Amino acid sequence: MALLEFHDVHKSFGAVRALRGVSFAVSAGEAHACIGENGAGKSTLLKILAGIVRPDRGEVRLDGDPLHFNRPREALARGIGMVFQERLAFPNLTVAANIFAGRELVQRWGRLDEAAMHARTRQLLDDLHLPVRPDVRMEHVSAAHAQLVQVARALAFDCKVLVLDEPTTSLTDAEVDQLFRVLTALRRRGVTLLFVSHRLPEVFRLCDRITVLRDGACVGTFSTPDTTPEAMVRAMVGREPPERVAREIPAEHARAAALAVRNLSRRPWFEDVSIEVRPGEILGVFGLVGSGRTELLETVFGLARADEGTISVGGATTAFHSARDAMRAGLALVPEDRQRLGLFFNLNVRHNLVLPRAVKHGVARINERAETDLASLQVARLSIRTPSIAHPPEALSGGNQQKLVAGKWLATDPTVLLLDEPTKGVDVGAKFEIHNIIRGHAARGMACVMVSSDLPEVLALADRIVVMRQGRVRGEIAGTAATEEAVMSLAAHESAHSEGPASAGPSAAE
Amino acid sequence: MKRLWHAREFSTIAILVAEVLFFAWYLWPEAGREHSFLKVENFLLIFKYSSIYGIAAIGAAIVIISGGVDLSPGAVIALTTVVIGYCFVEAGWPLWASAMAGLAVGAAAGLVSSWLIVRVGLPAFIATLGVMGIWRGTAFIVTQARFYDLSARLPPNWHVAGVSIDWLGPVVMIVLAGVFQLLMTRYQWGRGVFAVGGNETAALFSGIPVNRIKTSAYVVSGVLAAVSGVVLAIVQGQGKADLATGYELDIIASAVVGGASLAGGRGSVAGAVLGALIFGVLRNALPQIPGATFYDRLIVGVVVIVIVVMDQLLSKRRSI
Repeated sequence: MALLEFHDVHKSFGAVRALRGVSFAVSAGEAHACIGENGAGKSTLLKILAGIVRPDRGEVRLDGDPLHFNRPREALARGIGMVFQERLAFPNLTVAANIFAGRELVQRWGRLDEAAMHARTRQLLDDLHLPVRPDVRMEHVSAAHAQLVQVARALAFDCKVLVLDEPTTSLTDAEVDQLFRVLTALRRRGVTLLFVSHRLPEVFRLCDRITVLRDGACVGTFSTPDTTPEAMVRAMVGREPPERVAREIPAEHARAAALAVRNLSRRPWFEDVSIEVRPGEILGVFGLVGSGRTELLETVFGLARADEGTISVGGATTAFHSARDAMRAGLALVPEDRQRLGLFFNLNVRHNLVLPRAVKHGVARINERAETDLASLQVARLSIRTPSIAHPPEALSGGNQQKLVAGKWLATDPTVLLLDEPTKGVDVGAKFEIHNIIRGHAARGMACVMVSSDLPEVLALADRIVVMRQGRVRGEIAGTAATEEAVMSLAAHESAHSEGPASAGPSAAE
Repeated sequence: MKRLWHAREFSTIAILVAEVLFFAWYLWPEAGREHSFLKVENFLLIFKYSSIYGIAAIGAAIVIISGGVDLSPGAVIALTTVVIGYCFVEAGWPLWASAMAGLAVGAAAGLVSSWLIVRVGLPAFIATLGVMGIWRGTAFIVTQARFYDLSARLPPNWHVAGVSIDWLGPVVMIVLAGVFQLLMTRYQWGRGVFAVGGNETAALFSGIPVNRIKTSAYVVSGVLAAVSGVVLAIVQGQGKADLATGYELDIIASAVVGGASLAGGRGSVAGAVLGALIFGVLRNALPQIPGATFYDRLIVGVVVIVIVVMDQLLSKRRSI
């Protein structure tokens, strides 16, 4: 029995055909996943459901009756609750005001009934076991709690269908567990779930059926027990994943360290960190959010001053006063947040690609021809899919933007490449390509330090894995010997057992 | 009590009180002479002139909270005085009808600004910058280097119910501040304004009528600027195209000093009025300091920056 049904939904934005006849049905009481790469049409579908975008053709039916798209709140009024990503909260309003935004409980003449909203919020938060006060401003609520407040928001009014859009991107594993406990409880109450995600392990853990979208069309709907994550990746990408680039793991002590960090401290972020990476080696740095990894990379790259310790590049001890010093010594840092730290959205692809190289060499006069050659070369080498090098980065998908960030740093010919979450928010196909780019450069002798909280990624790429927790290195495991359990037990050791001064500080601060 | 302490308006009141105390002390006269600052007539003067800014600052604060900015109030004030002057002096309309025509001009100004911003998609700064020139220019075209003298047709030494007409501005300002403070904090419309300014995309996804809220903010701002214009025309007895020149920046500064954030989503109507009073006291007291004549603009500028920086430091500490 189909509760929510998409029937032949079409939508174009200008020349871009975002949806080309999507049809699938969500049965009453099931947990249904909708997966696809970035740009497959998931978000357009959600916007149609929320009444923000009107489809060109086709309809969405709830209980057999079509939704009227000329009324934006129709879906909400008819029992479809939507949980959007945490960035869709109002930071300036209280938790209670967030939950009731747009649907405030009012007395006569639109006067807000604050007492009623406060009481209902209290009750909703208690139901979800959320230790958040209703009168706290959203900006003071942690990302994980903010996500659960969004769930509370959807539940504030009785809903038959709960739609979740990438709800776990900013959550730690423990927080994902909490969210899933809540969702499981909701299912027991008979709420139907539509779970939009690209995280396959979570999809397989939660959902009964999976609908795969690719390029705005339905690939198919699969029953979870009858399929595998590998099959779903193939369905999403539409082709076999590319071959892994083969490379030899450099022998232990074969060559001198390309980068050696000794006893480096920057309190309260990290303390007494020593790492070494040889040319051609990929060093994985794994740790949970707040373990001081990002700060370590920033300090090595000269963006912050260390309290103590030394950094040597190619055997020579150096002191960087700026990122430019670090670049001239042969370092490059691909930052985590490409939107904020990685790209200039007011410049085109070519200018983005050549900028760090120009900064490194201090080019005074711009040589258009050389710039164009270099940019075209990088685009070809990394197979960055862009309409042209004159387009702004907006025109690119998330994965290609990430390749663009990597490309602009690789253009500086670094001897040591520092990578911070190189595939965060990137779809599966682009992830493979980025992994191959990293492998390829390592095979040609580049030393790589890769920080990631994606454990399978670290296991797949790294020759050695350093595990950080609360600002300290807790252990090192050879890549060949590493297992998920071994790494996690080092990373997530109960803080009650840990000793050392760093245990008090950094976890709360990131 | 704790909530009062945390309220942003509290620190604005504290600044205002400190400012008055400072000038009372600094301008303390020699023995036997009258205090030129600390007397009832002077405070009436401060209130009277601050109310022109304060009424418009209520609208400016609402627009800023909604995530926009309105540069047109100075021009709308001037055009309103001109329209009232034309209707009252040239066309011989009664005063109330002339005032209504003035308010209609304000509403129209707000509609034009919001149409440019919401429908045409111009940035608020550009749209209202252009609109500011259009209204100021219209006022000049209508008056042609003349001005309308309303005072000849207004009753001399006009009192309403035993109160001098000089009190019109302050009374209107306080009533409007009260009304809009309530609308912004206790009513669904105000919550919508805060929501749109806080996160416009989220507001859209929450089914909040974003375009309607934005339009209403600019219309309110236009009408309130026109109310300032009505008060100015009556109190000053003039309808003139170059009145209120440059007021828009003082009006925005009042809202900002009163806690409004140009990033949107934050601010208060009461704070904006208090901000206007802070500047009113400065404009009144500085010329009384011997030798300060050439410094007053500089001091006003420094005060804006100091107050906003102070607020940022305090709010960091205040945040829970």
